[in-house]
Parts: sequence; structure tokens; C-alpha cells
Amino acid sequence: MNIVKKLIHFDKGLLLESGSKLDSFDLMVETYGELNEDKSNAILVCHAFSGDHHAAGLDPETDQVGWWDQIIGPEKAIDTEKYFVVCSNNLGGCSGSSGPTSVNPDTGKVYGKDFPAISVTDWVNAQKLLSDFLQIKKWHLVTGGSLGGMQALQWAISFPDNLLKCGIFAAAAKSSTQNIAMNEVSRESIRKDVNFFDGNYIEHNTKPKNGLKAARMLGHITYLSEKHMDVKFGRKFQNTDSKVSGNVDYEVENYLQYKGEKFSDSFDANSYILMTKAMDGYDASADTNGNLEKAMSVIKCRLLIIGFDSDWLYPPQRGKDIQLAGMKANVSCTYVILPGEQGHDSFLFSADKYDGIINTFIESR
Amino acid sequence: MSISLTNIINDWIPNQSKVIDFGCGDGSLLKELIDTKKIHGYGVEIDSKKIQECIAKGLSVIQQDIDDGFEEFESSNFDISIMASSIQCLKDPHLALRRMLKLSNKCVVTLPNLGYWRCRADLVFGKMPVTPNLPSSWYETDNLHLCTINDFEKLCEDEGFIIDKKIFLNPDRDQSLLASISPNLFASEGVYLLGSK
Repeated sequence: MNIVKKLIHFDKGLLLESGSKLDSFDLMVETYGELNEDKSNAILVCHAFSGDHHAAGLDPETDQVGWWDQIIGPEKAIDTEKYFVVCSNNLGGCSGSSGPTSVNPDTGKVYGKDFPAISVTDWVNAQKLLSDFLQIKKWHLVTGGSLGGMQALQWAISFPDNLLKCGIFAAAAKSSTQNIAMNEVSRESIRKDVNFFDGNYIEHNTKPKNGLKAARMLGHITYLSEKHMDVKFGRKFQNTDSKVSGNVDYEVENYLQYKGEKFSDSFDANSYILMTKAMDGYDASADTNGNLEKAMSVIKCRLLIIGFDSDWLYPPQRGKDIQLAGMKANVSCTYVILPGEQGHDSFLFSADKYDGIINTFIESR
Repeated sequence: MSISLTNIINDWIPNQSKVIDFGCGDGSLLKELIDTKKIHGYGVEIDSKKIQECIAKGLSVIQQDIDDGFEEFESSNFDISIMASSIQCLKDPHLALRRMLKLSNKCVVTLPNLGYWRCRADLVFGKMPVTPNLPSSWYETDNLHLCTINDFEKLCEDEGFIIDKKIFLNPDRDQSLLASISPNLFASEGVYLLGSK
């Protein structure tokens, strides 16, 4: 699989939903496969909250496998032998695209907490500029899971002429009260870290690692199902040699500690706050007085909406709400609920039915 | 004269109408109606394998158990709802019919006739009927609520469903003279267009 990673600079300004403007910005992008001559085989993949541009294959620099590697690759559900797959790190992220850890060209200093608030619609607008840069007029498919699914839906609404199909997996047309509540707990743990310094931690040469770690640990619980945790860890005690800390008794504690620690090394706290705020703020029907049917009435592409039965963060019913609004608005849309053992994270993993449905959708006329 | 089921239904469905097909299976009927009548079609199906076949045909489907109800479709302005060869598989056929007539003015229903002479003959000889319209043996069938043509029409009368049109078919899906004279005995399948008062 041909993996190309590049940083693309945009000097055309981007007006943000908040009213602020980014005079210029960068997007870190990875592509897989080859764009065909008439540029009709392009698939845009949108990453979830803490994902990045590295969706598939092995990154030789970091030795990391892409977050959707089970789905994207040669002869996989999204087949890179046939399709040219593009994934960009979202604006406001911390994996190369402009965000709180980038240098503000106006001041010469790191943005930090002063990076402007970003919305899902802003991401989609930035990705539209990326499509123009790549000279892709119409994506064969725009897809993603979770927050990436929200982006895919917004693509269908914002740019109805620029995509043929849209795949919305484990997602919703707006964040639920519970989603916002969970995110606020994680943000609060970051803000209350002594090293947060009101978001100016970079100036103080430190990071609110403990807060970020606790936030991630909570997040991780919401991504998994009760049953999956039970099967994976049960009530097994962690063996003494591999305990990450003396406080740990059970395997599940060790796992969360390990995952949290790893995340807090690599992720930026201001990005975390910005990304969760974008997620909380998303409501596809915000411009139509809460009427999703009206918001969706502009859609011209076909939608595939998939929910997973064990997902309690974005339960399948949230996907069905999109389907029902689409049916009212005469949109071509299909809703499937699949068995997924890994809770919300199920969308990340290959499974016969899931892969088959995605692939059939991509290949259908 | 041989008339295919899809041709009959075709005649009852106006061009460009909004149609929902309950128990749409692999979507063949919806696909045909889209190609010939330019309908806005949606299918309801419980089996994800069949939904995948619908996706391959470019169709729109919602995965749902019809027995769980479908009140949430009522505001979708469907012109016609279809239930082809599925009504007898439901837990509450009468409730499903009521619900269908609430979400659309017209409703197409097709059902196998347990009063068909070959079914009666099977029973006379002491075995559960197996016919072209009821192909599965008793231990494999999905059918829960089989009825005769007379039973179905009695239900329509009791529930206040208006039978706008009806056509009776023999196993070759022909309209035979015998089937139209005495459908309860000679029709293997009934095809109805229902409306409500």
C-alpha cells in the first residue's frame, strides 16, 4: 500500500463558525492508494475525537498502526487497490495540523489556549479546501466513526454536490446531554491539574499530565461496553511484575492506567478541551431550529448509517434518528444496527457483516 | 393470462409516489418499482444479510423488527405501504395493518391462502400443508398466523379496512377463472389494495 504523508499549507483564510478567522493554516494529511485519472475514486476518512491523519498502514517513524487499519487497506472493506483514501488531522488537533501547539504566525508564539474555538462545520470547511487542493470535485465516499461520523454527516449537508456517498458509523446528529456531561468531567480534571496554568502550561514548560490521564481513563470506559470489559479483564488481579503502579489491584485498573499514561504523553490538553467542545457543540439541526429533517433536506448523496448494539456512548438509536429524519426528507438512506462487542469502539474493528456492508455500499452503483 | 405479482402492484402504485415496503427482503420489488414508477422507496427489513443485498441495489432500508411497531414513520408522508408475503409472520398482523393504514392512505397486502384446496387436501390426509406458497415444513416455517381468504376479509370488515381492489392468483401467479369464482378454495394467494374509512 502506497502511503504518502504530507503537511499542506493553506494561505487562503478560513472564517470560523465562531466568527474568528485563521489567516492561514496547515493540515497534516495521509493518503493511501492512487487517485485515478478522472479523480472519481477518492474516499475521505474523518477521524474520531483523539484520532489523527494516520488511518492505515504502519508509520515507520512511530511504529504505529493506523487507527482504521482493520478497515482500510488492500482488499479490505475500504480497498486501497481500487480507491484513493485521504485522511487529515483535524484543525485544532495536535498531530501536525494547526492547533494549540502550533505557532501563531501573528505573534510568533505558540497558540496554546488562544487557538480559536473550532466546530465540526469548520473541520468540514477546511477539508473542502483540502479537496480543492487535491482537485477532487466529488468524493466517492466521505465516512467516519463517532466524531468522524458527525463530520461525514455535516459534509453531506454543507457540500451536497461534492460527495456521492456518506458513511456515518457509531455517530449522532448531535451530542447528547450525557455526552456533554462526560466531556465536562474530563475537562474539569484537566483544568484542576496544578500544571494546567489556565491553559498556559507550555509557557511554564510543563503539561497537565495527571488531568489529561484521568480524562482519558474516563473516556476509555465510555468507549467500551460493560460486557466487553467483563470478558477482557473480568475481576482478574494484575500480576505483580507488570503493575504500572503500586495502587493497582485489578487488570482493568492497570489497563486504564497504562492507556491514560500513554495518551497523556502524546496528546495536548488544550486540544483535548477544544476537540471535546467541538463535539459537544455539534448539532446538525442548529441552523434549522432543531429541525433535522429540514437540515437534511439539502442532501443529495446516499447515506449509510451504522450503529452498534453495545454502544452506550452513541447508542444505535442516535443513528436511527438520522435515518428517520432522512426518510422524512426523501434522502436515500440506510440504517443498520450491528452486533459489536467493543461498545462505542466497535466501529474501529473489522467484522464480517460490518466489512461486507461497508464494501457493498462503496461498490454499489 | 399470466400476470406477475410485481405487475399487479405496479398498476396500483402511482408514478413518483413515496412507498414503504415492510419485509422488503432482498429489495427486488422496490428496485422494480423504482425503475418503472420512479418511486421514492424505503424498505424495512430485519435481516442484515438481506439489507446488504438491498444496499448492493442502491436501495434505502431501515433495519427494524416490524413487530416492535413503527409509529415513528407516521410523519414521513408515505403514499403507499406494502406488505408482501410477510403478514403471516408477524406477532400481531391486525396491529401491523392498522399501523400501516395510519402511515399511508393505501396499503398493499399479499398473503398465502390456507383455504387453498391443496392445503385442505394435505390436512385431509393428516399432514401440515406444504405448497408452492407455503414451501417450508411446519418445524422450519416463519409463519405464525396463517389464514384463509375468508378469514382475512372478515378481519378487514371487523377492523373497518376498505378493500379497494383484490386479485386472486394460482400457484403460477396466473389469474385463473376458478380462483376468481371461488377464491377461498382455488386461490393460493390473495393480493389486496386496502384503504381506511
